[in-house]
Amino acid sequence: MTQRREDRPALRDISSRPSARPQQIGALSRRRRVGIALGSVIAALALAGLYWPGSAQWSAPGPMNIGHEQLTCDSCHRPALGTVRQQLQANARFAIGLRAQPVDFGERRVENADCLSCHERPFDRHPVSRFAEPRFEKARAAAKVQRCEGCHREHSGKRVTSAATVCENCHSDIKLRVDPLDVPHERLAQERRFSTCLGCHDFHGNHVMKPGERMSEVVALDRIEAYLRGGSSPYPPALRKPAKKERD
Amino acid sequence: MRGFLMFTMLVGLLGMYLFVSAPAPLADLRAHEGTRIAVSELFELAAAENAAVRQLYTQEIVAAGKRVGLRFDENWRDEDVEAGPLPALFLRETSQSLDKSAVGLGLFLGSDFPIRQANLFNGASAEAFSQLRKDRAPRFFYMDDVSLHTAMFPDLAVTQACVDCHNQHAQSAKHDWQLDDVMGATTWTYPNGAVSLQEVLSVLAALRNGFRDAYDAYLVKARSFKNPPEIGNQWPAHGYYLPTTVSFMQEVERRISGPTLQRLLNAS
Repeated sequence: MTQRREDRPALRDISSRPSARPQQIGALSRRRRVGIALGSVIAALALAGLYWPGSAQWSAPGPMNIGHEQLTCDSCHRPALGTVRQQLQANARFAIGLRAQPVDFGERRVENADCLSCHERPFDRHPVSRFAEPRFEKARAAAKVQRCEGCHREHSGKRVTSAATVCENCHSDIKLRVDPLDVPHERLAQERRFSTCLGCHDFHGNHVMKPGERMSEVVALDRIEAYLRGGSSPYPPALRKPAKKERD
Repeated sequence: MRGFLMFTMLVGLLGMYLFVSAPAPLADLRAHEGTRIAVSELFELAAAENAAVRQLYTQEIVAAGKRVGLRFDENWRDEDVEAGPLPALFLRETSQSLDKSAVGLGLFLGSDFPIRQANLFNGASAEAFSQLRKDRAPRFFYMDDVSLHTAMFPDLAVTQACVDCHNQHAQSAKHDWQLDDVMGATTWTYPNGAVSLQEVLSVLAALRNGFRDAYDAYLVKARSFKNPPEIGNQWPAHGYYLPTTVSFMQEVERRISGPTLQRLLNAS
């Protein structure tokens, strides 16, 4: 039997019926609760996926640099000192002036010391610590040379991320009083041929090699740039001190 | 009303969580508890120790060593070079050790007439050095870009060996150095403007460890010579000898500990 129109519930006018209001609110709350629960589960699964062993490629900002392919996240990203609560407390106190120094939260910031724990070499021609000296202010501004990451930005999939002409930041007025090169260094600098520097000198001096004395022997720029990007080395293969496989 | 109560409770709980120290608070490395002194005083202490060690190494190891056949070379780390570090490179070794210590103290050497052009002062350091050259007084300034307090101290020609080597070096920019000339400056950097006594002691301990590491590196190389000097209690002044690291550091401590203690007492 067909119900007459006037006997059906007046759904469109439900707000005017006080007895129906709690039911409607209850239904909305249930939907919201289900939504929140579902969202939480998805977020938890996503987070778990990011931190799941072997899932680093999903959470890392990019591919590891050349030579670092075997490193794990915690090779460089070490946990910060203290518990989460201690870290929160210290930073809250710092924020309101009760403490002189903030602390790292979660993970320690990756510093030069982390890189040097594998790459420290006593004969380094350009030890990164030297660039904190006042006279390197322009070089710091131009290329952040006071940090290893200034030239070797991690997660770039390369070996070196700075330009092959980085030497110009400090050696633009080079002058050797006894110059072994057939084209004087002073002239090369005047002509701003800084793309040739790495053709004779490896930056950190870790390759066993003597610089040539003729410009015709200089390694071509395209080979140098390919090496910086991650290609094969144009320098002699013998290293004075290979990087450690594991940090100290 | 109910919302206000909830908010108050949450703020209260957060406050308790953050400020009521159930766990021990993390050490505040820059806290200035107890006596504190200006970083310039720390620089004075460190520079005085370095100057004394530099003089000891230059006079008693390099100058005396050369007279008995020891060699010192800028390429001393090369395998085919049988030599020890020149005084400037001894300082470089100390500096690298300091850098590894993580106490935050930086040490550098430069000049307005350097052997290597790369060690030429420029910018703020050139300006400070030109003033320092006039009155031989240290200069203190702050480097904004790296947030470091900085000091420059005169580096003097303390022995004839300094003068002769720099005057005769093929790459030298100046050939008329004389004894007691200001040949350059040591530059020191530190992150904090004021330091606790504990901080001063940590820094000085790291600096002395740097002297030890630098000398130790030389002895490691000296042992590899085809004709190694005898390493023991004797010094080059007595013949083809080198003192052990312990003997060297004992002499360092004999020369610098008294003045350092006096400075610390004066500063506190």
